[in-house]
Amino acid sequence: MALLYGLLWRFLLVLVHVNRALVSWFRVRLRSWKGRLWERAMDALLLPVALAGFPDHQKKLNHNANSSPVTGNRTANRRSQWQCNGRSREKLPVHIGLLIAEEEPSYTDIANLVVWCMAVGISYVSVYDNHGIFLKNSFYLMKEIVRQQDLLGVEGSKVEFLSNNGSDKRQHNESKNIPDPELVVKFGPVDSTLGFLPWHIRLTEFISLPSHRNVSYEDLLGALQQYSTCQQRLGQ
Amino acid sequence: MSWIREGELNLIEKISANVLKAGPMPKHVAFIMDGNRRFALKNNIERQEGHMQGFNKLAETLRWCKHLNIQEVTVYAFSIENFKRTKDEVDGLMELARQKFERLLDERKVVEKYVNIFVLGEFNMLPLDLQQLIAKAVITTRTHNKCFLNVCFAYTSRYEITNAVREMAWGVEQGLIKASDVSEALLSECLYSNNSPNPDLLIRTSGEVRLSDFLLWQTSHSCLVFQSVLWPEYSFWNLCEAILQYQLNHKSIQKARDLHQEHEALQQLEADHACVAEHLQHHGNGKPADAQRRQEALLHYTACREERVHDFLEALKHKRDSFINDLCSEDVLA
Repeated sequence: MALLYGLLWRFLLVLVHVNRALVSWFRVRLRSWKGRLWERAMDALLLPVALAGFPDHQKKLNHNANSSPVTGNRTANRRSQWQCNGRSREKLPVHIGLLIAEEEPSYTDIANLVVWCMAVGISYVSVYDNHGIFLKNSFYLMKEIVRQQDLLGVEGSKVEFLSNNGSDKRQHNESKNIPDPELVVKFGPVDSTLGFLPWHIRLTEFISLPSHRNVSYEDLLGALQQYSTCQQRLGQ
Repeated sequence: MSWIREGELNLIEKISANVLKAGPMPKHVAFIMDGNRRFALKNNIERQEGHMQGFNKLAETLRWCKHLNIQEVTVYAFSIENFKRTKDEVDGLMELARQKFERLLDERKVVEKYVNIFVLGEFNMLPLDLQQLIAKAVITTRTHNKCFLNVCFAYTSRYEITNAVREMAWGVEQGLIKASDVSEALLSECLYSNNSPNPDLLIRTSGEVRLSDFLLWQTSHSCLVFQSVLWPEYSFWNLCEAILQYQLNHKSIQKARDLHQEHEALQQLEADHACVAEHLQHHGNGKPADAQRRQEALLHYTACREERVHDFLEALKHKRDSFINDLCSEDVLA
């Protein structure tokens, strides 16, 4: 009897994994379909390519990084569009946490996320992973961020590195004036905070995204949109 | 309505429970029972009735947990922040608590209802008669060891952590422990919940995706499941869904937990090394100590530290037990 239940349980897990795979496949297909639809709509209505266009813009810039410098006008336009996205959100977190619950993080994707956060107007961005990879390789991550910043012409905000390994005294001093994170965006399939700032996450909203690899600006905006609809009663 | 509903699961529920039990099961589940007031609004009933339904749902959930072999449950019944609510609502909740704890004391002789109740929170914020009732309930059920229910009442995690830090400071002040003995592990031992293992699974209902100052320290490596159902509408299938999520996350969370424990152990070893090195430097004869002497000193230091910490934790336990016992005896005298 126990064997039968064991088999049924394994079968249940398989069903769940298949369901998840289908859902993520559909999500990717829907996005690419939606993306094409958006572009056609934008072209048709002669509106500037706003949300849907940004990832394309950025990819183009990445390719051209070595060849031509970014012109001043384009930078100003893009910056104002980002700030518009930021202001149009009813509320924006002052401090956002990016929790990477995946193995082998991608520095480019994280750098993109950090730069997009700064562009939209979030003052503090915390990047955390369970193994302390970002802390150990903070120099490399900083280089990526600076590179993306230059490409997209975004002013700097403060980037702090946290890790579950090592209690840096410097971190304690610096973190005194930083507000608690209002929002944590979690990337990866693990449903846990994995030790991220236990004291500070008292009222933090947790929004999960499937993966940080090839994450898009729309994904981040979606999370911010969801955050803006959260209502806190603060006990009342 | 009593604290644990009676009754067996129906056939489909039994089969599903058995299938789930074939996989890893959480031994300790924590619930943030959110959504009573929204439920009341939705069904055009009084808020107080919503809270009553919430309690009934707790009783039913404890029955399901018993059938699923989940030994320990912790619930967030009343936050310190909830004192900000209207006086009527707060009084209503206090009255509900009084009724339920009195009911528990009436039932304590019934074998099936053997539950070990523990209450975590800032007792001094509660009315004295409720404090005494709670103390009685805790003392009366102390010896039960089959299932455990921890009720967080007048509780916030930050108060709990602050209190733990204060106790460690008291320990250092009294000379029971040294400042260098303070560690993450020691803080965990000083929390109100030090008798319980950390929750394996934390479930929050009503769709909110935050922790609201609940067990922040203890759930750092727990599986978090946020469900949109309102608490009074919680079903057996919602619980199964949450447990399934736990099972899917089990391996990766276990890995993260093990990594964290390894790291803590390493930090403790390094701290011990540093203390021993300092000690040898001050008390040595100027020559650097050889490896064997260092090793002996390290083992000796670690053993002393562990003994110190053990005695300190005993003293802390005694302090807290005395507080509860005093409350009970006050009630007897009154």
